[in-house]
Amino acid sequence: MLDRVVSQSQLLALVDELALSRRIVGPVRRSDRHFYGPVDRADKLDLDFKYCVYSPKAALFPADQTLFEFQTGPDGFQTSPVYDESPLALVGVHPCDINAIRLLDRVFSNTNIDEHYLSRRRQTFIVGIDCPTPCTSGVFCRDMKANEAREGADIMCSPLPPNGVSDDVRYGVVFGTDAGREFVLYSHAGDPPTVDDERASERYISDKARAFPQSIPYDVDALPELLERSYDSLLWEATARRCYSCGSCNLSCPTCYCFNTYDRLEMTLTSGTRQREWDGCQLRSFAVVAGDHNFRAKAAARLRHRIYRKAKWVKEREGVAGCVGCARCDRACTAKISSVEIYNQLAEEV
Amino acid sequence: MAVLGRQPTDKAKSLYEPEPAEVVSVEKLTDLENVYALQLASGHPLGHLPGQFVQLALLGIGECPISICSSPTRPNTFELCVRRVGEVTEHIHRLREGDTIGVRGPLGNGFDVHELHGKDILIVAGGLGLAPVRSLIQYILDERARFGQFHLLYGARSPGELLFRNDLTLWRERDDVNFHMTVDRPDEQWRGRSGVVTTLFSEVPRLEPGETQVVIVGPPVMFKFVVLEVLARRIHQRNIFCSLERRMKCGVGKCGHCQANNVYVCLEGPVFRYGELKALREAIE
Repeated sequence: MLDRVVSQSQLLALVDELALSRRIVGPVRRSDRHFYGPVDRADKLDLDFKYCVYSPKAALFPADQTLFEFQTGPDGFQTSPVYDESPLALVGVHPCDINAIRLLDRVFSNTNIDEHYLSRRRQTFIVGIDCPTPCTSGVFCRDMKANEAREGADIMCSPLPPNGVSDDVRYGVVFGTDAGREFVLYSHAGDPPTVDDERASERYISDKARAFPQSIPYDVDALPELLERSYDSLLWEATARRCYSCGSCNLSCPTCYCFNTYDRLEMTLTSGTRQREWDGCQLRSFAVVAGDHNFRAKAAARLRHRIYRKAKWVKEREGVAGCVGCARCDRACTAKISSVEIYNQLAEEV
Repeated sequence: MAVLGRQPTDKAKSLYEPEPAEVVSVEKLTDLENVYALQLASGHPLGHLPGQFVQLALLGIGECPISICSSPTRPNTFELCVRRVGEVTEHIHRLREGDTIGVRGPLGNGFDVHELHGKDILIVAGGLGLAPVRSLIQYILDERARFGQFHLLYGARSPGELLFRNDLTLWRERDDVNFHMTVDRPDEQWRGRSGVVTTLFSEVPRLEPGETQVVIVGPPVMFKFVVLEVLARRIHQRNIFCSLERRMKCGVGKCGHCQANNVYVCLEGPVFRYGELKALREAIE
């Protein structure tokens, strides 16, 4: 059931309205590729993008972020936490990345509440755009059950076929949150859905179900069990022979959230900041402890760790899948290691 | 997501902000290890359990995880044994009495002392493993009436690497703890026992399997051999505990550095039952 129907120009007008009070981050074209980037006006966005090279994760969990500022003196030190609460709108987020954000929400709010993430997240309005077809070859979002996002976005827009009145792309809008509902209804954008719109939407859904190929020959709910039996498989070492441990997979992953912390000291040596920066489990030194013992010294152990995290452990800990099938890791890999290929090979092992 | 709608309860506090603590005393233990007695600037006790750790921060330099080596039964200060092995610990070793350092914690689970109450206790410590387990040793000695027999075995690589020499003397003199120690590589002055820590098991009388709790803390290579000795004494696997070492960056279950498979050592540990560890690959490999 749709809540509203808007044309692309109406959607862009809505984004301009958001831009009155929020920073806007959305898909922008740079040469022949798209990236999520900041814009001040909606017409700088390219909503006809296929996919963005990186997910919008960095807008919520920056690659380098200040946790607190400190000042030291003869009597000790003072600290003050740094939270970014400036309102933000993420526009044009695909279901895979919305599902990835749902995982980050979970990770940073369970057990110990991480205000550095959540203060940004609370101030973030998400305009999702659904994908009628796979954005590019090699994705396995359908297998990971992440090519749909029923929750996570404030409004979710699915492109509908033209209705013959105008050539403008039309979107069927579903409100994901009260904030989404209020925003669209108060701005009077678009129209209530007609019977034809609802039919078009149903057709959209059934067409979409056929458009996404199955890339993994089993239900991913079986993955944890498959992996349970593959810990000592030769596959890890065989695949890791090609791995350069460069961490490109971690860097490009919308669900990777591991980090390192470090201090930045001003020239005065009396003030500075504690920073956190993205880290990657594929880097050699990730699991090193004092005295230089490395608990995952081999590339094979690190590769296995990543795949287990993505396909088993994160789901078991957080209840939300650790992989959304966007295949950015596969595309980013400098050694052409493919996680979907690993998932396929695992099936042959049993 | 309910938490997203919830307003932050304690806006001022970040998970990652250390609180100031004053260095009350510094004691040199060996060439590499110093023990620091600290007091929170707030005046509050740290409020820890034996076996927990803190993140120790020198602002501008960095932070590292250090286990608390004193018992909460001695609440005025808390002690940390710091081995000089990296940049942060190198700088910590330059601290003097009266200096300020940052502390986050206590972190981790610690020993469940209630489960140990009323039982006979065997503690086996190797090397720097004595530091985390010293918090429990002190606790047992301070609350001695709550425990049955207390056997304590300690092994170090060489006489020069023995930690807490004053304690060792004290423990040897007490008749309510069956304490024995050994070094792997004795020097010419050494008059004590030599050999690996498992050779000390000859000093442990018959243990009552259901009534004995065992704590093993030391380097991975020691662990397997000690567990073997303990299992040979028919101790139940659920009654064997161990503390793991990892280099935590956040200490609050986010950063990923301390993971052993799907376990965050900073949250679910650092104290584990042997039964849990047995099933956990990468834990002591």
